[in-house]
Amino acid sequence: MSNTLRPYLNAVRATLTAALTLENFSSQVVERHNKPEVEAKTTPEVLLNPLIVSRNESERVLIEPSINSIRISISIKQADEIEKILCHKFTRFMMMRAEGFVILRRTPLPGYDISFLITNFHSETMLKHKLVDFIIQFMEDVDKEISEMKLSLNARARIVAESYLATFT
Amino acid sequence: MSNEYAFRKIDIDALDEDALLPSDLVDPDPRGPDGALSDARARSTETRNLVSKGDIAGALTTILTDPPYGDGVDEAKNLTTSAVLLILNSTRANDIPNVIKGLDQEQQAHLMAYLYKNMSALGSGADIPGSVLLTWHEKLTEAAGVGCIVRVMTDRRTL
Amino acid sequence: MILLESHNVIISDVLSDRFQKASRADIQFVDFDSVRFHISTPESKTVVVLSMSIQCWPDLLKYGARQHLEQQYAGYILPEASTEFEYNVSLAIDLERLPATEEERAELVSHLSLLKRNALAAPFLGAFEEQKQLQANYKDAAGAQQMDLQPTESKGELKVINYRDGEAIFVRASHDRVTVIFSTEFKDETDRIYGRVFLQEFVDARKLQSLQSAPQVTYSNREPPLEIRQIPGLKRSEDVGYVTFILSPRHFANPTQALQTISRIQLFRDYLHYHIKCSKAYMHSRMRFRVAEFLKVLNRAKPENAAPAERKTISGRTFRSR
Repeated sequence: MSNTLRPYLNAVRATLTAALTLENFSSQVVERHNKPEVEAKTTPEVLLNPLIVSRNESERVLIEPSINSIRISISIKQADEIEKILCHKFTRFMMMRAEGFVILRRTPLPGYDISFLITNFHSETMLKHKLVDFIIQFMEDVDKEISEMKLSLNARARIVAESYLATFT
Repeated sequence: MSNEYAFRKIDIDALDEDALLPSDLVDPDPRGPDGALSDARARSTETRNLVSKGDIAGALTTILTDPPYGDGVDEAKNLTTSAVLLILNSTRANDIPNVIKGLDQEQQAHLMAYLYKNMSALGSGADIPGSVLLTWHEKLTEAAGVGCIVRVMTDRRTL
Repeated sequence: MILLESHNVIISDVLSDRFQKASRADIQFVDFDSVRFHISTPESKTVVVLSMSIQCWPDLLKYGARQHLEQQYAGYILPEASTEFEYNVSLAIDLERLPATEEERAELVSHLSLLKRNALAAPFLGAFEEQKQLQANYKDAAGAQQMDLQPTESKGELKVINYRDGEAIFVRASHDRVTVIFSTEFKDETDRIYGRVFLQEFVDARKLQSLQSAPQVTYSNREPPLEIRQIPGLKRSEDVGYVTFILSPRHFANPTQALQTISRIQLFRDYLHYHIKCSKAYMHSRMRFRVAEFLKVLNRAKPENAAPAERKTISGRTFRSR
């Protein structure tokens, strides 16, 4: 694990803590509607400046705050073709189960691999610092998981190849 | 869809005289584009001098006072950003906490804004070391707290 | 189970059972590469007919598969005219005239269950023979003419077996080796990438000291190897892979070894794809586990005591807020 991972995660944690100050806010455009303003984007005065925390070209987090919701989009490191396909598989697998993960968005923002949408209703029923913990742990584990999957694929390929070739005498 | 229904696509809110536009939310830089540019030029030259003399704290205070903001001042913004980046790169990691302590609240918020700005430019091919920015970010959050980040998010005067 | 077996388990199970006790049967089943089998007792309980349909039969016929099978299954194979409809080859086993001893019966069962292997073996055996001849001729030629003239024809006939739609095995003998080329198609993006990892490992594993005796393996993506480049109609797209095995004469020095080599090599494609599917299944179970873990972490964010415990006043009455 490289030494810039910790400051990176700390920066994300600080930014998320700052951004997770949400309150209930009804739509100003459609009466009796209450929608995440960051998705609707109809009321400019309740949208805040989006912030990007990045570690290098491929790993970055976009945090878009608004009055009643924040959107977090994560771009995961993909060094080669294998990591790309594994990452795609994994995020797709998660997003198919988005109803279990209440804060998960079903599609990522263009240019990112996975997006979360936290609204004031989530932050009211869930503990804020634990939500932040979840995002951080996700970022930590997803990298680990992808590299482990890649290793296991290589290991299997090696065993398979060796035991096949060993049968020729 | 036929033209018969094209009227449905008209954004009638935009025709409302009372509609709030993003440009209504913030006043432009009072110096105007030219004033901001010449100001930024003077400041970045002074900053470079101070950096070459080794006065990091002084350089940072200079560049973070009244930075150019708003639309139409891209050149002044670029000048200031690159000057900030120069300071960030030429500061030793151990000196960072002391340098930050010398800034007032507004300057700290501006510094934070520049950190985020540079981080978002990381992907676009610019030669910026991500680890330096992250170290600064960490130290600045330690010193100035989360409030500093909130000020960046809420400040409509984008740097 | 890492290695695949080349015999068909159903054939061996059903036949061993029938050898014990004759009974009616009408079983259809399949093997790798869309090979279909049919075991039936059309006339009487005691005569079991085993038929096989194999997609590349026209190719195999060209390379003498029929003759090879007739030689292998002499006394059992039915003449071409009475081969079962829709199948390519039929064998009839009369249960009343089985070999006497248990060992011989077991031998017969295992031999019959290798029907597919034996059918596919014909072109390989042909190529091995060809190599022996070429080697002999090559030596003569080299001895007679010194180095002046290169022996003009040192390559045998290129045998093509279209064992699946869009996928084929190419076999060619030359004076010092037999080259076997597989073309295989990866239908899915993931398969293609996994396949590349596996094939790369095949190439790398050959470099190990302990595997020096294995055939040399090379693979290429997209571009067919030189040996078969002249064949028209080869696919050149991202999802096609070509794997080349170079068998040296020691791999088929004696008949047992030759058969062993054939069994291995003809299952290569199935082996590769089988393990690609296994990897995918494994990845899926890993993801399932990881996602469940994430869900646990997220659920930790939900406060536990959503419903407060029942409270009572000092006199024992239930206290309820309205």
